[in-house]
Amino acid sequence: MESARALTPQGDIPEARTTIRQDLTEVVTDLWKYRELLFTLAKRDITVRYKQAVMGFAWALLMPMLLVTAGLIIRLAIASVSGRTLTPGTAGVLAVKGLCWSFFVGTIAFSSASLTGASALVSKVYFPREVLPLSSLIAQCFDTCIAATAVSMALPFLGGRFTPALVWVPLLLLILLMFSMATALFLSCANLFFRDVKYIVQILVTFGVFFTPVLFEATLLGPRFAPLIMLNPIAPILEGMRLTMFQGHSLLEPLMVLSAKGIPVVAWQPWYLGYSAAWAVGGLGASALMFHRAEFLFAEYL
Amino acid sequence: MQDGYIGFHNISKRFRRGEIHDSLRDLLPYIAKRLLPGGRKSTDLEKDEFWAVRDVDFEVRPGTTLGLIGGNGAGKSTCLKLLTRILRPTHGQIEVRGRIGSLIEISAGFHGDLTGRENVFLQGVIMGMSIAQIRQKFDQIVEFSGITDFLDTPVKRYSSGMHARLGFSIAAHLDPDVLIIDEVLSVGDHTFQNRAFGRIRDLATSGIPVVIVSHQLDRIAELCTDVIVLDHGAAGFRGTPVESIGWYLAGGRAGHAEAAMQTTAIGLQSLQVIGDREVDSGAPVRLELSGRVADDGPGDEQIVLRVSSTDAGKGKSAVVGGTATDHYGVPLPERGPFRLEVTLNLNLRPAVFAIQAFVVDRKTGYDVSPGPIAYVQVHEDPGFIGMVQLNPEMRLIRVEPVEAPAPPAGVVSG
Repeated sequence: MESARALTPQGDIPEARTTIRQDLTEVVTDLWKYRELLFTLAKRDITVRYKQAVMGFAWALLMPMLLVTAGLIIRLAIASVSGRTLTPGTAGVLAVKGLCWSFFVGTIAFSSASLTGASALVSKVYFPREVLPLSSLIAQCFDTCIAATAVSMALPFLGGRFTPALVWVPLLLLILLMFSMATALFLSCANLFFRDVKYIVQILVTFGVFFTPVLFEATLLGPRFAPLIMLNPIAPILEGMRLTMFQGHSLLEPLMVLSAKGIPVVAWQPWYLGYSAAWAVGGLGASALMFHRAEFLFAEYL
Repeated sequence: MQDGYIGFHNISKRFRRGEIHDSLRDLLPYIAKRLLPGGRKSTDLEKDEFWAVRDVDFEVRPGTTLGLIGGNGAGKSTCLKLLTRILRPTHGQIEVRGRIGSLIEISAGFHGDLTGRENVFLQGVIMGMSIAQIRQKFDQIVEFSGITDFLDTPVKRYSSGMHARLGFSIAAHLDPDVLIIDEVLSVGDHTFQNRAFGRIRDLATSGIPVVIVSHQLDRIAELCTDVIVLDHGAAGFRGTPVESIGWYLAGGRAGHAEAAMQTTAIGLQSLQVIGDREVDSGAPVRLELSGRVADDGPGDEQIVLRVSSTDAGKGKSAVVGGTATDHYGVPLPERGPFRLEVTLNLNLRPAVFAIQAFVVDRKTGYDVSPGPIAYVQVHEDPGFIGMVQLNPEMRLIRVEPVEAPAPPAGVVSG
């Protein structure tokens, strides 16, 4: 006991000083130690979601299917205005993008409320609080996987192409996962301290789809605005998915396309990928650090 | 299994009263204030802040069971939350070695839509058990809870008693190195309460360090080796269960401080037991009360002695007997110091009793001032039944058996 006391100097320092590396290592080791809790909570979320639900697993398909339908309507309108017909791959592209987007939106919607929704636990039982938003994310992964299975079976008939460019898909999914994780950690923590964050989340969920190339291609915005929308960290992920899965385009090559008026528009730049990855990695590091350092205040602020 | 240890070194915890900034709108002024030079020291208290726990210091080693008692808001639960790392102390060091088992909010993790079976796993994992451990102890847990028939029913259809019983059963099957218990001593019906208490006693006496918070002082007295009375966040008194409970029941620091001030016509200084403090039931104890009457005379005041049990439940009257100077026509001196000798026959059950002297206004009947206190213990007696010593006398009279006449034939007896 004496030795332990000597190691940690007694003083009026409310928080022990730790380095960023120590903290992040602690997050990882904590999560590993509590991995069973993480998966049990995810299992709980999944079980509860499908218990007493008339539609069962159809729920997982509903959101992406609605997105595809909405996208088709918009694309039909655009096509009829510009006097073109819809390209055959449109439904496939919309399905893939819609799936990624509904994963992201579902994750932030469920995880941002995960801490405040479990106030009884947070104020009564100790465990690394990261497991709460992350278990919502895992539950969301499960839903997405069901829909993804359906989509990937239909993909060959919807214009999907089997090319070497598909090797980029796992990387893009990883970036999406990390970025969603970062957002989940950040928003759940912020929502605990500031209850108006949930309204921001609602706005994000409702209007985010207009600021992200989900229902439309970035290039449809023309030469000036196409690069601008790619500043949204999710845009390169969605566009990357489209280019690799439906056009067999390697993400290391830039791509220009001609607009309806014959003006060249930037469809892809290799740094787009790095940009998204930087957001995902940097964001995850920063939000995990913030979450971990704020964690000990959770029980007090709930 | 390692040797558990709890070190709670000079812990203080500061809380805020009222609203904390809850929306982004309030954040900016707060940040501005923090960034301004002249950072605050952690010993400072701002407006609206208070110490929920102030310089509390204890160690619990294997074989020790520490009780924390005190009124509502005294800081008991905050201490436990600090111990279990739910809260972080404002200053001080907490050291806990070994796996913590906490019997706090034993069903906090339950989800109403899940069945009992699913919830056992959920709650068990939340409390820190591994799935393998739960699987291994599953049958024991279910058997202990006594709800085998409802295992596959969603918990939301459980009665509150079943809910609590299942929660307790899970918590009771943790294999902790260190045990922390908060007010879960009264769970379920009478039978289950006894079973639960037996389980806690087994755990508490298994040699691991234990910290218990409870308002059930009799349970505290039975389980603990050491008791701290918390009073507005600070350790007001620390001692054996008997002393601490007595101190707490006598009104804590406030009561003692008042007794020390002589604002009444009669000032009471000390109450001492002469001779043995531990007696057999029915035996007399002799007490000596010393005090002083103010120069104006005793006025309308008299001295009352009250004997209270230290283990009465919350809200129950603890006073089991007493006496008053008026009642026996004992005259008080006109002025100056006096000594009053009292002999009480403790025709009481085996337990610890607190005897306290009070100055009481004769006209209103109200206590003017609580006075000094003394403790006595009535020896444990396995044959004792009930509350009061009835001084039973029993004598057996042998009766010669008389031959019963044989029943007449044809009559069936029985």
